[in-house]
Amino acid sequence: MARSTRSLLAIGFGVFLLLTSIAAQAQALLDFTDAERRAIARHGPWPVEWTGDSTNRVSNTQAAIELGRRLFFDPGLSANGQVACATCHRPDRGWADGAPVSTGLTRVDRNAQGLANIRLQRWFGWDGAHDSLWSQSLRPLLDPREMGMNVATIATHLRGESELRCRYRAAFSEAPGDDDERAVVNLSKALAAFQETIVSAPTAFDLFRDALVRGDAAAAAYPIAAQRGLRLFIGRGQCNLCHLGPSFSNGEFGDVGIPFFTRPGEVDPGRHGGIKRLQASPYSRLGRFSDASGPALARATEHVELTHRNFGEFRVPSLRELTRTAPYMHNGALPDLRAVARHYSELNEDRLHADGERILRRLDLAPAEIDDLVAFLESLTAPESPDAAPRAADTCR
Amino acid sequence: MITRVALTALTLQTAMACQLPADAERLESARYRLALSTEPDAIQPGKFFAVLVTACAKDEPATIETLRVNAHMPQHRHGMNYAPRIVALSPGRYRAEGFMFHMPGSWEFVVELRADGRNERATLSRRID
Repeated sequence: MARSTRSLLAIGFGVFLLLTSIAAQAQALLDFTDAERRAIARHGPWPVEWTGDSTNRVSNTQAAIELGRRLFFDPGLSANGQVACATCHRPDRGWADGAPVSTGLTRVDRNAQGLANIRLQRWFGWDGAHDSLWSQSLRPLLDPREMGMNVATIATHLRGESELRCRYRAAFSEAPGDDDERAVVNLSKALAAFQETIVSAPTAFDLFRDALVRGDAAAAAYPIAAQRGLRLFIGRGQCNLCHLGPSFSNGEFGDVGIPFFTRPGEVDPGRHGGIKRLQASPYSRLGRFSDASGPALARATEHVELTHRNFGEFRVPSLRELTRTAPYMHNGALPDLRAVARHYSELNEDRLHADGERILRRLDLAPAEIDDLVAFLESLTAPESPDAAPRAADTCR
Repeated sequence: MITRVALTALTLQTAMACQLPADAERLESARYRLALSTEPDAIQPGKFFAVLVTACAKDEPATIETLRVNAHMPQHRHGMNYAPRIVALSPGRYRAEGFMFHMPGSWEFVVELRADGRNERATLSRRID
């Protein structure tokens, strides 16, 4: 046989093997057990139905969303006129800022969280010091490190801008009157109404999950590495004990062994400090600024219990839109998803609270397993960036 | 004799009046038969629910001074993040609000009661998916 013929045959065989391998990759579906299938099904469907926040009377109303949009991008709400909410929550960065810890007027100690699907949360902020999005929206405005305003200066800015004044009247059916605190809480409710519209689209995982539930062969289109990572996530990793449901979060708090020293001699108390601040806040769901009352609306606030183990606990974040919101953890200590997987793989159990939960165990993942876990986590980001409701093309008169 | 008959009648009446609901799970402490159910019946991780407890004395009725219900995950060595509050609906019937199991797995309800100066407890396991 001529050398050229042998070469052609060899190439042809190589191409055949490659195509076979690709076909196998594209068509493969792991042999998920019934229990695994049930566990996977519990992470959907997506999106989740949402009907508004009844403690915010302008939640889900168009005029308030438009007012909130302008406020969100308005640097006039900061003491130096240069810091807006959007400074740390940039639409082009998954509504976070990409920095380990954020800088407003000065540097703070925590990582800015992305805002996608924030309307589904029970608690807000890394320490859950706020029980509503409107209460949380007020906090950075008043924090001297972030925007450095006070109730009087915010109200003055609101009353001094004709566009804001007009849109405030449209949203609340009243002018921003002499009661500064009322006007500023209303402003925070408009900010919340805008942020509630930031919702992420279905992901490759959602398509897989829905197909698996239907028994559809389309499930096999989900990359095999992501399937293996998912199996780890709901199996040996036990990640779904805390990262559960369609949002991939139980909405609560945990100590995952990330150091909470902020600088020598200073610590971030996390949830412990958050509960204390919540209970002292006049802006909680139990306070007079809530637009609706009733046991069901404030159940979490009423029953939350301060315990010693809350010290150093931080919120269990949603895992949706994860690839857009690096770096990770409350202090941005882990630069990428591989670092997150390695953190749990090499977990230092001695760092966990002695009186804390006994859930986390060093996973000792093989390099290929880390790749799989990362492939799965990456599949929780939608192809398109989460966007807010489209801007209404109107002018306020 | 008349007094003895009257007391017997009262005891019987109490025993007959105290019935455990048929659709609740049963547990026992030293002197009480208890029934526990939740509202809603299916507990979902991360969602609040209420607990209903009925307590019936096994023998001589005693006055229940306090009854508390809580829950924990023995395997994970932690309780709930929320402190439930209980109210007596009627003698022997209680409702506790503020329960939330923040993760799936094996949980254990713990009922602690004090009657006629003596403490006792009963437990009930429940697995949450």
